[in-house]
Amino acid sequence: MLSPSDTKLLAFAQTLEITTRDIYAAVVSRKSLSDEENELLEQFHAHHVAYEQALNGLLSKNAANKRDDAIYASFDAKLSEAQNIWIALLEIENTMISSHTKAIETIESAKVAALIASIITVEARHAAILASQTTTNISTALDNNTSALVAL
Amino acid sequence: MSNFTRRELLRLSGVSLASGLVLAACGKQVGLVDDNAITVLGQSSVTTPLAEAEVTDAVLLRTAASLEYNAIETYATALDLGVFTGDLRKVSEIAKRFSADHSEHADAVNSLAVKFGAKEFRCSNTRISESYILPALKLITADDNPNQAIDIVALAHAVENLAAQTYQGVVAMLTDPMLRADAIRIGQQEARHAAILAQILNPGRKNIGPTSDAKTGKPNIAAVPTEFGSLANIQLVIGKPKPDGTRTTLLLETPSLNSLVYDFVACEA
Repeated sequence: MLSPSDTKLLAFAQTLEITTRDIYAAVVSRKSLSDEENELLEQFHAHHVAYEQALNGLLSKNAANKRDDAIYASFDAKLSEAQNIWIALLEIENTMISSHTKAIETIESAKVAALIASIITVEARHAAILASQTTTNISTALDNNTSALVAL
Repeated sequence: MSNFTRRELLRLSGVSLASGLVLAACGKQVGLVDDNAITVLGQSSVTTPLAEAEVTDAVLLRTAASLEYNAIETYATALDLGVFTGDLRKVSEIAKRFSADHSEHADAVNSLAVKFGAKEFRCSNTRISESYILPALKLITADDNPNQAIDIVALAHAVENLAAQTYQGVVAMLTDPMLRADAIRIGQQEARHAAILAQILNPGRKNIGPTSDAKTGKPNIAAVPTEFGSLANIQLVIGKPKPDGTRTTLLLETPSLNSLVYDFVACEA
């Protein structure tokens, strides 16, 4: 049984994952990338679907089931030009990592925190790979300067 | 000449032994004091009781610090080997950056341990070294191993996965939510290290996700092998190929109860 505080934090995390899922889906549907690039993004999209569904299962009737339109619109604008796609997706993954880590600071249940941690380590791998598609600068793959998005 | 048969003699000795045990038990019950009348031959060794081993947040932090030193030592060995030449020249720079990251992580984790009233731990985890890293290095540095350079990268990749898994795993064990966040803040960077090294070992977009070896069916190294961070054991395939083409597989596991750095554990160096 989730506490009211954990329910609020997880519902926001689910909203962020749904938003990220939809952003990946939008990029793939534009067909502006090669087949191999699209395959890679489809894999990452599938991971975000799995995260959203795992959180949905935990939240049950309290599930969010909707994306954050404002966040979606801000990233959608960045993705409009093909050369920005990798950097914009990198920023999304890094934002997910910052936001989920911030949530762990206050999540009461250790089991729920562990689930979020298992998402963060894979999103970090996504970020490193997305960075490597656009630059050989190792710092871009390793450093995360994004701010956390927090539940209001 | 005795009148006892062998069978009777054996029965009598059994009865005597049983009687002795009954008397001894009764003696204990009535509170008889040992007067040292019975001679004891030799000396029994003195047993030292085991120290109290409680898995606290500080112990988990000290264990994480020890793994950082395992990683630092692995990169130092890798650079000392001088095998990163040709296509692998860029690995030297990567190894230096990753090693510097691990030094920062060790400082951060140790300062948290001190904050929680524990002593900092500034050396590698002996059990991890002895169980995994030293046997791996023995195979890698063998004169007849033709894959030294790529094998040392494989070891670094395994150590990075081990570190990432350890930080992810301790999130469920730490009692303080702030510490859980601190742990995964470091763990996510270890995961990035692992992903970058995986692309050196098995490059190309098609090898970012999970694939398997066509001949053996075993999973290939992948930058993003699973959709959720795995806590399963880590396969490390290294060393000279055997006649059938296979190589030695070592299985690495995150620190368990027998490899945690408890309060009473001190650096051996």
